[in-house]
Amino acid sequence: MVRPGRLLAGLLAGCLLPVGMLGGLSGGAAAAGGGDPARFTVALLNEVDSFNPFLGIEVESYEMWALTYDYLVDFSTEDLSLQPSLATDWESSDDGLEWRFTIRDDVTWSDGEPLTADDLAFTYSRVLGKGPESATWKSWLAGVTEVEAPDDTTLVMSLSRPNSVLPMVPIPIVPQHVWSEVSGEAMKSFAAEPTDGAPVVGSGPFRLVEGTAGGSTYRFEANPDYWNGAPHVDEVVFRVFKSEDPAVQALVKGEVDFVEGISALQVDSLEGRDGVLAQNADTPGFDEISFNAGSVDLETGEPIGDPNPAVLDPEFRFAVGLALDRQQLVDTVYQGAGRPGSTIVPPGYATFHWEPPAEDLAHDPERAAALLDEAGYTVGADGLRTLPDGSPLGTLRLFARSDSATSTKVMAYFKEWLADLGIESEVTTVESSKLTDIILAGEFDAFEWGWFVDADPTSMLSYMTCDQRGNWSDSWYCDDEYDALFEAQGSELDPEVRAEQVKTMQETLFRDAPYLVTAYNTTGQAVRSDRFACLLQQPAETGQWIFQQGTHTYRSIRPAAEAGDCDGATSATEAAAAGDEEGPGAGLLVGAGGLVVLLVAGVAVLVVRRRGTAEDRE
Amino acid sequence: MTLAASAAGPEGALAAPPRARRSRGGYGRYAGGKVLGSLGSLAFVLVVNFFLFRVLPGDPARTLGRGRFSSPEQLEQFNAAYGLDEPLPQQFLTYLGNTLSGDLGISLRYRVPVADLLVDRIGPTLLLVGTSTLLAALVGMWLGVRSAWARGQRFDRLSTGASLTLYSMPEWWLGLLLIATLAVGFGPVPGLFPTGGLHSVDVDPWSPGGVLDVARHLTLPVLTLTLAYLADYALVMRSSLLDELGSDYLTTARAKGLRDQAVRNRHAVPNALLPATTVIALNFGFVVAGAITVETVFSIPGLGLLATEALEIPDYWVLQGAFLVASVGVILANLLANLLYGVLDPRVRT
Repeated sequence: MVRPGRLLAGLLAGCLLPVGMLGGLSGGAAAAGGGDPARFTVALLNEVDSFNPFLGIEVESYEMWALTYDYLVDFSTEDLSLQPSLATDWESSDDGLEWRFTIRDDVTWSDGEPLTADDLAFTYSRVLGKGPESATWKSWLAGVTEVEAPDDTTLVMSLSRPNSVLPMVPIPIVPQHVWSEVSGEAMKSFAAEPTDGAPVVGSGPFRLVEGTAGGSTYRFEANPDYWNGAPHVDEVVFRVFKSEDPAVQALVKGEVDFVEGISALQVDSLEGRDGVLAQNADTPGFDEISFNAGSVDLETGEPIGDPNPAVLDPEFRFAVGLALDRQQLVDTVYQGAGRPGSTIVPPGYATFHWEPPAEDLAHDPERAAALLDEAGYTVGADGLRTLPDGSPLGTLRLFARSDSATSTKVMAYFKEWLADLGIESEVTTVESSKLTDIILAGEFDAFEWGWFVDADPTSMLSYMTCDQRGNWSDSWYCDDEYDALFEAQGSELDPEVRAEQVKTMQETLFRDAPYLVTAYNTTGQAVRSDRFACLLQQPAETGQWIFQQGTHTYRSIRPAAEAGDCDGATSATEAAAAGDEEGPGAGLLVGAGGLVVLLVAGVAVLVVRRRGTAEDRE
Repeated sequence: MTLAASAAGPEGALAAPPRARRSRGGYGRYAGGKVLGSLGSLAFVLVVNFFLFRVLPGDPARTLGRGRFSSPEQLEQFNAAYGLDEPLPQQFLTYLGNTLSGDLGISLRYRVPVADLLVDRIGPTLLLVGTSTLLAALVGMWLGVRSAWARGQRFDRLSTGASLTLYSMPEWWLGLLLIATLAVGFGPVPGLFPTGGLHSVDVDPWSPGGVLDVARHLTLPVLTLTLAYLADYALVMRSSLLDELGSDYLTTARAKGLRDQAVRNRHAVPNALLPATTVIALNFGFVVAGAITVETVFSIPGLGLLATEALEIPDYWVLQGAFLVASVGVILANLLANLLYGVLDPRVRT
């Protein structure tokens, strides 16, 4: 029998020695510049779920498609205004039933084929069809009956009714000569990933050369012939970290150049460091407390579930909203990294955002109590409020999501504020998927959740319509005037008139209060500014550096040593003075070697001691 | 994934009392019975597997579509495309047929065949958890033998105390501690190891350099798991050796004048190995289930993490595939433990 002692020493030495030797050979990533390729490495906190733009849903996947493909139009970094992209020019007929786009003629696919209007017609036609493509994107082409390309640079859309979302169609354009061979059945599991070194055929600023859905590394090479200017880095690499702390540690160590999705606490910890730039960036979304505004059986119109009569009353909901201390939520729950919320269209979308009067957003418990009294919810002998008919109001059932610390904390505050008004409630914490079931059954009074809002607010506005009850509507809100306005703005071709309609809709929602918008969230991002400069924010000053509408940062970013003035981009980040990077070198070897020696020596001592004691015993 | 454990308990692991009656058939019959039992467990798992995950709350089409501009028709289209609109009995039959022919379906989240996903994810898990289990077993058993032999002495107190301390530490915390010290570096000591991942970017893990690169990346996670698992083996080995210490045959061996070491290694340890065998075999059954927390902290794309994340959707086919693989692992390990027991301890063959 092998003596365990000796076996162990051999094992330890065998394991650790090569590691020690290796330690000297490879340190962190080489600093960009010099003869090495400039590689921008980004830590993501979630995998790409599909590189096929007709299948994926994760925000990370959208980012990959944007690097690989082009779109009909683009959005500026400054204020997300519309910019030409594949379409240089567009016009619609007076009745809005025909749109003509002029398509660029200087774009080539990565395999050398020219990109023409046919590729756009092909992509949109697939979406209008029946397969998984349409399950994903069809709503964006609402009213479109046919898309044709009369010649290489002209695209014509025919519509049965006007569609005000046009030309803002966020569908990536895929090459017809590759995708026409994918049948509807095959599309269900078509990966669109690189195989054996052949990159994915796309027209975007970068080319995917390595990566699989659900994998942990995605590598892109720059497209030197990009029609909108070649990128200034050679490679962009994404590495998936499954938790925040190691990702931040990797940034500090220099294994990655960029981290995203980190907490305000992490941003604080990074802010003082040399060579690191960190920020809490505005995200295009909001968090809200949603009430059950009237769950019904959609077939019969009969009420389902068991909402408290109070939450069905818009006056009650609006009054309760005045008891919210949004600033306190931002300061405590959001650790200061957020803004008090107001409506379902975030202020970043300045064209469409409606700002309620300050007094209606204020934390005003006295006014809340007065409004409740006025509406008949008076305080009974036991100090608790009653329903207008005099019966006890009972206990409101509030739900928080177990996968979100924010959700549970916000609901804890909400419970307190309700108690201050004389309303009892209990908070139950459940998983998101379970909450979805509860919402669909109508067995709740209120819950906490949030939404991301697209550059065009149509999708968010649609979730509050009667048609979406039982589908995406989670508040069961239904209001005929609101629905009429939704239809009208969807066909309104005058942008100013449409903006007014969208603002009116927000006001309606604010007064009826199916949602109490609690906060506009931010997300933490940080970059090694001693290595890379010229990152752009979208919108300017407050927005994110990556996960934008478009690929602005990836195209403008430069190695710090060659940044210069970033081609005059005013809002770009500047290079930090490169600090002394602790290059792992001789010290590391000595350290690792020392560790190994220590361990082996320790084991040896044990072995020797064991022999000794054994002999003593004999 | 402890669910798998209930599917097959360690039946043979408990030594049956010796019977006076001579057993007919001997080892072959015993082994045959055990194999049949395992097949039965497998059939049971196949059926349970389908219905177990259908009772999960949530609706894949809704989870995947939230925040997307879409109509009820588009939800229906999704369900039709992935066979979720069929009645449950029909879905069950489809599942049985497909599974038996080796088709595990398409993942709802990643839209790639589940078999491909599992193959990609099982390698890292086997490497990480397998290596750790092996190391922990070897080191733990060695510690256990030494501790028991030197019961109450300083070594015993130290090793038992240390392994219990490590055992009660949360794995993720231990992992973060190792990252903060050995990966990032502290004071004069530079970072020795990567903070996470399985291998460096554009390194082929199968090349000679790549193998070393993977070893470097796996050092900290393996160290974390090994330290966490140590106590398991050390304590089992220690207590079962202590049980043997008072036996007559040891007194006899000593009386024969054998050296202490020989008494320990040739007489006491082989008998004390029996309970440890069970623990090791069962733990190896759980190797495929992965180590979710450590996979998370070190961003190792393993099976445990895949299954955990599939629960949120719920991604039925991924869950079924992962559960099947994990169950087969446990059932096989159990069968092996039983067969091995039959060899090591003839008393169980009745």
